[in-house]
Amino acid sequence: MPGGKKGPSAAGPPRRDVLASLRMASMEDISRAALPAEIVSSILDHVGPVDLIRAARSCKLMHEMAYDDTRWVHKLKRIGCWDEVDARKHAERVFGTVANRQVVEQQEEGGGNGTIPAIIIEDDVSNMNSLSDGFDKIELVNTTSQTDMLEGLMDDPTLTVLKQARSIRGEARQEYGKIHAALSPFYEDIARRGPSSDNLVFTKYRDPQAQAQILAQLLAFSKCDMTEGWDERLESLQGTMSMFETAALNEFRQGYETDDIDGNMRKYAHILWTLNGGQSAVDLFIHHNHLMTRKSELGSVSDCIDGLSGHIKIEHTQAFFTRLSVAFNEQISIMNRVFPPSLDVTSAFMEKVGQDVLYPFLTAIFDELHRVSIESYLTAISMTFVQCMNLSEALLPTRSSETKFDEFLDNVVIKIYEPHIDLYLAEELDYFKKNCEATVSEWDRQLSEQAASTESFLMSNINRQADKRDFLTSFKKVIMMPVNILPSFSSAKTNEEPKPDTENSDSPVAPKSPNRFSTISSPAPVVVEEVPTTELAAKAAIMKSKMEGIRSLFSIEIALGLVHSAKSSLERAAQFVRLGGEFGVAAKRQCQAIFVNLLRILGHRHVIVGFDKAVSHLSNYRPREQGERDQSGVEPLVTFLELVNVGDLILQMMDVFYEQELIGTRLTDRNDFLDPAVKEKKKFEQMLDERVAAGLNKGIDVLMEEVDYILATRQLATDFNPGVSADPHRQTMDVGISEVAAAVVDVVSSHTQMLVGSTDKSTLDVFNQEVGLRLFTALCKHLKRQRISVEGSLKLISDMNHYFKYIQTLKNNELLLYFTAFRELVQIYLVDPGHAKELATLIADAERFHGIWRVEEVYEFAERRADWYQVKRDVERAMYGIGCNVM
Amino acid sequence: MSSGTITLTSSDEVDITVDRAVAERSVLIKNMLEDLGDSGEAIPIPNVNEAVLKKVIAWCEQHKNDPASANDDDDNRRKTTDIDEWDQKFMQVDQEMLFEIILAANYLDIKALLDVGCKTVANMIKGKSPEEIRKTFNIQNDFTPEEEDQIRRENEWAEDR
Repeated sequence: MPGGKKGPSAAGPPRRDVLASLRMASMEDISRAALPAEIVSSILDHVGPVDLIRAARSCKLMHEMAYDDTRWVHKLKRIGCWDEVDARKHAERVFGTVANRQVVEQQEEGGGNGTIPAIIIEDDVSNMNSLSDGFDKIELVNTTSQTDMLEGLMDDPTLTVLKQARSIRGEARQEYGKIHAALSPFYEDIARRGPSSDNLVFTKYRDPQAQAQILAQLLAFSKCDMTEGWDERLESLQGTMSMFETAALNEFRQGYETDDIDGNMRKYAHILWTLNGGQSAVDLFIHHNHLMTRKSELGSVSDCIDGLSGHIKIEHTQAFFTRLSVAFNEQISIMNRVFPPSLDVTSAFMEKVGQDVLYPFLTAIFDELHRVSIESYLTAISMTFVQCMNLSEALLPTRSSETKFDEFLDNVVIKIYEPHIDLYLAEELDYFKKNCEATVSEWDRQLSEQAASTESFLMSNINRQADKRDFLTSFKKVIMMPVNILPSFSSAKTNEEPKPDTENSDSPVAPKSPNRFSTISSPAPVVVEEVPTTELAAKAAIMKSKMEGIRSLFSIEIALGLVHSAKSSLERAAQFVRLGGEFGVAAKRQCQAIFVNLLRILGHRHVIVGFDKAVSHLSNYRPREQGERDQSGVEPLVTFLELVNVGDLILQMMDVFYEQELIGTRLTDRNDFLDPAVKEKKKFEQMLDERVAAGLNKGIDVLMEEVDYILATRQLATDFNPGVSADPHRQTMDVGISEVAAAVVDVVSSHTQMLVGSTDKSTLDVFNQEVGLRLFTALCKHLKRQRISVEGSLKLISDMNHYFKYIQTLKNNELLLYFTAFRELVQIYLVDPGHAKELATLIADAERFHGIWRVEEVYEFAERRADWYQVKRDVERAMYGIGCNVM
Repeated sequence: MSSGTITLTSSDEVDITVDRAVAERSVLIKNMLEDLGDSGEAIPIPNVNEAVLKKVIAWCEQHKNDPASANDDDDNRRKTTDIDEWDQKFMQVDQEMLFEIILAANYLDIKALLDVGCKTVANMIKGKSPEEIRKTFNIQNDFTPEEEDQIRRENEWAEDR
């Protein structure tokens, strides 16, 4: 702005006003040498208290400014002995309540402004007296014994001058005065001489406790020193203090080393506490603690691990923890004796113990075990965790921190386990998974080996037996030759030996199943009931042994084993749930994951696969190929039904497990449908149900084939038509049930019976109904193949009654109707050939059969009469011939 | 804001050109420039004569890069209790000039300079008797001897021992 226009001459009119107003203020009004009051006041802000008082003596204005209460309150605040609340209370007490605050303020202002009120002077005089009294007493303290140091010190006002300062508005200067009088000589002395043992503090007071107290007060006092050079003074003070602290610490340490707990240790702990909170004493105590230095005596890592098996020795870790708790409690009691109650030594100590003793010890164990054996690593983690928790309960609470003690302990324990917990949880799940999968696969492998060996065994057997057999089989032996590898065991041996085994191993597991059908613990002892002798029979036997294998497709034993390992894993992991917080949640999640994995492995890999295999075996089953019909049951179906039983048992097991381990311990919420554990469980149940339904479907087919087979092969022609019998002795009427009927009912009922209780009722009902209906059709077909005489009809009737009775037990009314009709139907065979008309009415009476058959069908049944051709004409006439007659 | 400099006119009508950044150490000038905009006109500083204004500007030049004064809390104030060397030299002027500078700093609202001035004065009266203090501030003793004595007695703690 080189050619800048000068002055206001060029300024526009509006601006001129502004500048003019500036110009109006003139220096002339203010005396050159005198500064305005506010500046003087801010100058006084930088003046030390002594100079301030002198300034106050210079003139009234200065006096007023120097005496301004806020100036002194500020100083007291910096020292830390001004309590605003207290001051307000006092003001209210003296001047009135908040309601007439204005009055208060006015009065306060008055107190600050006017000439010195008389009260203050009086106060001051008395204060001065008490102060000089105080100095007298100091001499007394020095001469008295130091045993009662704390109480003795309380008598000396200098030592507690900061505590005695009152917060009263308008009297802050006086209060400050007291403090200044008491402390300033020491402060000045230290500032002058620097840190040295000749300082006034140390010469005036011999007792270290008093020295500490003065020094502590000096530190606070130094805070209000705002004048130039304060930092150097503070430095000297701090130097003095650290000198004192070092000396006191030395004494403290010596006390600790010579076990002078109640003497020097206690004394110097209190001194250091007075000086600056005693943190240095605490640090020293903790760092040089015997517990740390002698931690190797508590137990060594190698002791706790069994070198050979890699297992952890519980007794040794327990001993470690016990020793630790004893030592710890000892230290706590020392702390309680040594340190003042308000000083929190324990928590720092505990942390230190956790870090320096527990953590390295446990980490060493864990690392070692993790290397050696995962299993013992897992047990060790959760076990030591429990021991840790027990330890924390065994510890004595300290006086100072009782309320937060437990919480704090937990924190320490968490800190120790923090680095391990993630790894642990992951390992736990992994271990469990691996273990289960290994078990299941091992079992699968054994199973397949078993299947192979059984097969070859059967083959070999037939070969050997074939030697003594006819041509045909020996011919086949040639074909089978290569399979003949196995050593020659006698068939009798295999028959007898495994049996007791199975019975023994099963009875405790599945008491509700009959022994013969029960599952076997492992595929090894497959029971081959009878050694087959023909090739066809051999095939059937192989088939049968495969079905036998169904039992071995999954076993309760395996399931139990898995559940057990899941349980132990869960219990180990669940220990950490109580840690709460992040780790608690993680532990919880892991527990659920374990459960889910249990269901997956046990369910999908084991049970469901077993079911699938069983169902496919079942559908491949051809009863007619089975040579031996020695049992009352259809072997594969029986096996399958047994499977259903076992499946149900496992399901129940899972349910109990879920209730106890997850719900009972609150690891998961039953009502939380999003919970993975709940979801997985539902899925498992559903899949099991599906398999059962599919299996039952196949089962019915098989069962009916069996029934058909029995009916076809075992029903003798003479049963219902004794007349054709060649047996001359067979004259008496036999009204008992035929062997076949008994067999059929046996077969069917034994199978349906097996399901009772193992599947839900609706499934059972459907199954029963299906079985009943299929039985009905089978019987119809069968009946149409028979020839029945009047005499034989009695047997038939009793057969039908037998079926009927059986169906009654199923408690299915609809089904019962069919069999009632059956019962009625057989009447047509009972009618004497002479009464053709009645026979005809019977046949035509559709009502009688509940509409189940049409007349034509009943007629078809009637055709099965042995004497049909004799009565046919009469009957037909009776039926249709009525009309003919009319014609 | 094209120009980096402004012109100040002292009470004795002397124009002084300074960097705007330097002049803005004064809160008064800063606010004025903000309110009125930079017209290029000289700004009259009617309360400050040339000598003092130059002294003040010199101080401002020295301290133009100082950070803006932080909050005025106690600890901060305590830290700045000590006067740095340059300022000590700067303040080695006769007492009249010192007071003029303080007044100018007060008027121009340059807080840091005012503080330095106050501290210098505070150091001046350190250890001085009431009479000397009176001389320094050019004040009359309006106490009776009794009154003065009473104040002394009230504050015996402040006596030199």
